[in-house]
Amino acid sequence: MEEQQIRDFVYRVSNDEKLRKELTNSPDDVLRHESFSPRVAEIVRRLIPHLAFDTALATPLNWWAHGYTH
Amino acid sequence: MSDNSHTYVNQFAAQQSLLVERLQFLLATLQSDLRADVVRALGAEGKLLSLQRERDSSTQSSQIVGSWPLLTFLVAQSIAPEIDLVYASSVAVAIEYFICALDLLDDVEDDDQTPIVQTLGIARTLNVSTTLLMLAQQALLSLSQYHIPPERILLLLDTLQACALAAATGQHRDILAEQQPVQDFTENDCIEIARGKAGSLMRVAFLLGAICAGADERTREQFSALGELLGIAHQLDNDAHDLYYLLQDYPSNETLTGTDTIIPGVKTDLIRGKKTLPVVLAAHREDALQGNALPADEQKQVHQRALQDGIITTWGIFLLYHERARDSLQEIGAYVSVSPLLRLLLDL
Repeated sequence: MEEQQIRDFVYRVSNDEKLRKELTNSPDDVLRHESFSPRVAEIVRRLIPHLAFDTALATPLNWWAHGYTH
Repeated sequence: MSDNSHTYVNQFAAQQSLLVERLQFLLATLQSDLRADVVRALGAEGKLLSLQRERDSSTQSSQIVGSWPLLTFLVAQSIAPEIDLVYASSVAVAIEYFICALDLLDDVEDDDQTPIVQTLGIARTLNVSTTLLMLAQQALLSLSQYHIPPERILLLLDTLQACALAAATGQHRDILAEQQPVQDFTENDCIEIARGKAGSLMRVAFLLGAICAGADERTREQFSALGELLGIAHQLDNDAHDLYYLLQDYPSNETLTGTDTIIPGVKTDLIRGKKTLPVVLAAHREDALQGNALPADEQKQVHQRALQDGIITTWGIFLLYHERARDSLQEIGAYVSVSPLLRLLLDL
């Protein structure tokens, strides 16, 4: 399940300092060793700059903002 | 801005003006006091009747005015480029009424002191919402004047009712969830609430466009699926950002997911204990990390980390749904000529 792959990876990075360093130095190598689908790999690649929580999330796509979603 | 962008902006403007004209035509029969309040509600930020104010303003909002009815209208035009504009705009305007009605109900249900609630008060806000729900139906019933087959009008009404019930069910689960412990919720529960609330609304905006254009069942199902994926995606995006912005200003010596802390400026959803995905993920994460009792300072670090992980994971799942929506649009593009304007609006 793709959702679970994303969740587990974020948690592992959060807990594992060695993995965080590897991601900083050579993200492609880390992603190569994971058995991600191309779609999940691409998403994880976009998450990497945010995993240390020191890079702002992209602006929300709020063109259709509605009360139910806020 | 490129020449293409200018063309897009101008084309949106033409569609928006057409929709405003149709919306005002259908309001004309309302009694004047009621109409004035309905117009106020339909003139809130991002809604169709804010168009003139937006055009007069020196600063342009990032939100496209009337994006909901534009969506319905552009879906119909993509499927049937020669579709009668009055017909398509009547269906699109029904969506604007419907979404505005639910927005007002949501404001009241969440005790949100939005400008329109502050201006009208609760009683008038509720009555305007009821009026808008009736207007949505009236806009669809008015199609009989344009020789639209009764079966199609019935299908439009039936679809609107079904999606409204699904949205109300999602909203009810969300309200009930406020009183339940966060540990009772799973990741899947949060996605299901998002599917019911936001997914149903986006679905109906796509579906009414497809039905009014006479789309076959397969095409309707494809647009329905696209709408649901986009609705869930945007809900998750908003939930991740709401908590993210809060955490940026949040004092690190407080807890957030507890029910005993009220933080000034926090979005109402969070104060009310809404079980959004990042909040639920953070709570489960914190439980897993906590294990044995920790000293107070370590507990705070664990709490902070759990929140950050919940936000990043939610944003990742948003990206996943966004990608699924993109794939869905690509599948539709194989047999429907999706207009550049619709692609621009969807931003996929």
